[in-house]
Amino acid sequence: MANFKIKNLNFYYPTTPDTPSLKNVNLDIEEGGYITVCGRSGSGKTTLLKHLKTVLTPHGKREGEILFDGRPLDEVGLREQSSRIGFVMQNPDSQIVTDKVWHELAFGLESLGMEKKAIRLRVAEMASYFGIQDWFHKDVSELSGGQKQLLNLASVMAMQPDVLILDEPTSQLDPIAASDFLNTVKKINLELRTTIVITEHRLEDILYASDKVVVMEDGLVQVEGNPRDIGNLLREKNSQMFSMMPTPVQVFYGVQEADIIKAGPEIESAELKMGNMNFNSRNHNPSGNSVMPSERGSADCPLTVREGGDWLSEIFAKEKPGETRIDRGEAALEKADRFLDADPKECPIVVKEAWFRYEKESPDILRGVTLKVPPKSISAIVGGNGTGKSTFLKSIIGVCRIYRGKILIAGKKLEKYRYDELFRNNIAMLPQDPSNLFVKKTVREELEEMVSKDDPERVDSMGKLCQIEHLYSSHPYDLSGGEQQRVALAKVLLTNPGILLLDEPTKGIDSFFKKTFAGILSKLKEKGVTILMVTHDVEFCAKYADVVSMFFDGSVVTTNLPHEFFSRNSFYTTAANRMSRHIFENAITDEDLIELCKRNM
Amino acid sequence: MFFIHPAFLVVSLGFAITFHITIKGSESLKFLGGLLTFACLLAVLNPLINSRGERILFTYLGGRPYTMEALLYGFAISIMFVAVIIWFSTYNQIMTSDKFLYIFGRIAPSGSTVLTMTLRFVPNYRNKIIQLSNSRSAIGLGISGKKKQKVENALMIISSLITWAFEGGIVTADSMKSRGHGTGARTSFALYSFDVRDKTLLVLIIVLEIITLTCGIMGAAETEYTPKLYIQSMNSGCFVAGITAYILLLAIPTILNLMEEIKWRISRSRI
Repeated sequence: MANFKIKNLNFYYPTTPDTPSLKNVNLDIEEGGYITVCGRSGSGKTTLLKHLKTVLTPHGKREGEILFDGRPLDEVGLREQSSRIGFVMQNPDSQIVTDKVWHELAFGLESLGMEKKAIRLRVAEMASYFGIQDWFHKDVSELSGGQKQLLNLASVMAMQPDVLILDEPTSQLDPIAASDFLNTVKKINLELRTTIVITEHRLEDILYASDKVVVMEDGLVQVEGNPRDIGNLLREKNSQMFSMMPTPVQVFYGVQEADIIKAGPEIESAELKMGNMNFNSRNHNPSGNSVMPSERGSADCPLTVREGGDWLSEIFAKEKPGETRIDRGEAALEKADRFLDADPKECPIVVKEAWFRYEKESPDILRGVTLKVPPKSISAIVGGNGTGKSTFLKSIIGVCRIYRGKILIAGKKLEKYRYDELFRNNIAMLPQDPSNLFVKKTVREELEEMVSKDDPERVDSMGKLCQIEHLYSSHPYDLSGGEQQRVALAKVLLTNPGILLLDEPTKGIDSFFKKTFAGILSKLKEKGVTILMVTHDVEFCAKYADVVSMFFDGSVVTTNLPHEFFSRNSFYTTAANRMSRHIFENAITDEDLIELCKRNM
Repeated sequence: MFFIHPAFLVVSLGFAITFHITIKGSESLKFLGGLLTFACLLAVLNPLINSRGERILFTYLGGRPYTMEALLYGFAISIMFVAVIIWFSTYNQIMTSDKFLYIFGRIAPSGSTVLTMTLRFVPNYRNKIIQLSNSRSAIGLGISGKKKQKVENALMIISSLITWAFEGGIVTADSMKSRGHGTGARTSFALYSFDVRDKTLLVLIIVLEIITLTCGIMGAAETEYTPKLYIQSMNSGCFVAGITAYILLLAIPTILNLMEEIKWRISRSRI
């Protein structure tokens, strides 16, 4: 078994020789541990992880040392590193080398020159452990994204590594495949004692499993600690990174803050002056008991929905909360009137009983979809994988032609439009993979492709709206997921659409970029753009959508306002709602839940 | 394969057809019918190009001869051609990429790695092109409009595909290096193993092949169509040995498949 010791590591990329990408990083990675590294895109997470394996280490100036098992990493042979340090990357597709599943499993072992018999055994073991038997003989091109990433994991595990490093492994997967994958990682850690080092946006799925959380910002290790303390540590530092924490943590500290203010503003301000905002003081500082209302927030910080729910029950054990719902009153009625009962004549998109299948013999993908999208709104369609959501968007844009039913775009039948007329100032779609739109060398050229005559003003104003002005001279492929997303959005918006379709806009994007993205969307809405998105991201819908529809088995099952929609669902709903549904009726977002807790204290 | 002796041709075509039927079943009849029609057409057309030969059937276009020998030669060549096509079509059915790699992987492990990577690229690139063109047509840059516009947009998709492929190539390279590629000698793994059955068959095939070839060299299949028809006598010992070995060799695949079928029938009827 192995461990890493990183001592005073500094690293400079050749393109930025003055600003270090890693600053004085000190980190111990213990044998059998589960270490989560988090931080926003560009904080140096990936750079740090790549330093843990010599062949992947980027070129540049390096200071400090990395010890593996007590030896400098550079002195550990490449063969030994290949088998003892496993690395799983972000993109499920590009990591796969061969064309068959069984061959991919054997690839690493072949490289190490193992005997055929030994390979056979290992491959058999891996296929059984990861449940790959059923698709063992398949071509890799037939696999789903989740299966591909699982295959990547299995083929790395086939080499029996002591350390497994994962760099945002689930950013390209849908939530269900993602949590399956992360559960498998946890299982490897628990059952095989393999050390795990992982970077991930989806903290709700891994925080509770980790031993140590490392938060990075601008190449620095900002905070390091165990997952129960990490929220507190971040708050003490007043760090923006706190907003990345999962719902239970957010609510826990949100409520405590309110509590302290209630307990006495003078004490709070005194504490602030002393720079000792130790909310969780009971655990660390017994004298703080007098400040804390003793029956509230005394426990450890909850990390999962279950723990969060237990914690809420504990708070409200003695007296039942008087107010159990947020009354949205007039505003809600008005919204319902505006969005749900909109006049179909005014709706930019009206779909009536649309049917679609890919081939004559194949099964129907859309089975009588009926939907109207109210004007100047953000509408969201949620639903599981393979229910036909993306196909639905494609049929609205005319890429897939429906064989029965009607689609009206701005009051006119889709098939009556000429091709160029449809896309001029009318409708446009942002694809799931934003890089599909990139064809040029720089971001600026990308945007200029869309403007017929030299019209730098439009490009600039769009750049400003999408906050990508600082990226103009970069190559689109060098950007992070969130930046690519915004460049692609700017490109799409340059067609000046009145209707914007988004396919999984929050896939692979961290919480900061999501916020920025939502800001852009609401600005567009103010300008009169109608937005229809298809997404798995329940939390995002709950916060920012005006109308939410559920898609299942090729048609829209229900359409409602988000708070109504999510408070009625029991499974397909937000973490805040699942955590609090036994106490409150309609808390959907973290803010709702904190607000309700405050009112009842 | 290159014998043009009518007996050899008939044997080759006959077993190619039976083997094809055992693999594809009734589906193969359509394919074979089409091919044979094509072969006849080819045969009839041959004398129009090749006018050599002794027996003139008729003349056309002011005295150009249409000869018997050229017609027969046409049949021989087209039968050979069709037989080869059928054999290769069955080869394609049976030799999947993993079998191919199993055979050649041990001889050149790195070459076979390149091959298997290439096999992966083909469906991968095809999918990506569809994605790219869909994405672009969803913002009004699809392959449509005027000719010039069409070409430009299609080129954009290709250029975009290339950038994407390079980008993916870097990741693939990292993934390969990370799994120890290039750190030393490679071995080649395959799902198949070489059984006694395989060995017996291999020996049998080699022996039959040697006999056929030797007889062939000794003139068992000596045949000439034009300008004068000459066909090796079917009574010579050399011919008999040659054709027997040839029949046995080509019958192997059909026999194997038929035996399997019969065994299944029997074991099923016992249940």
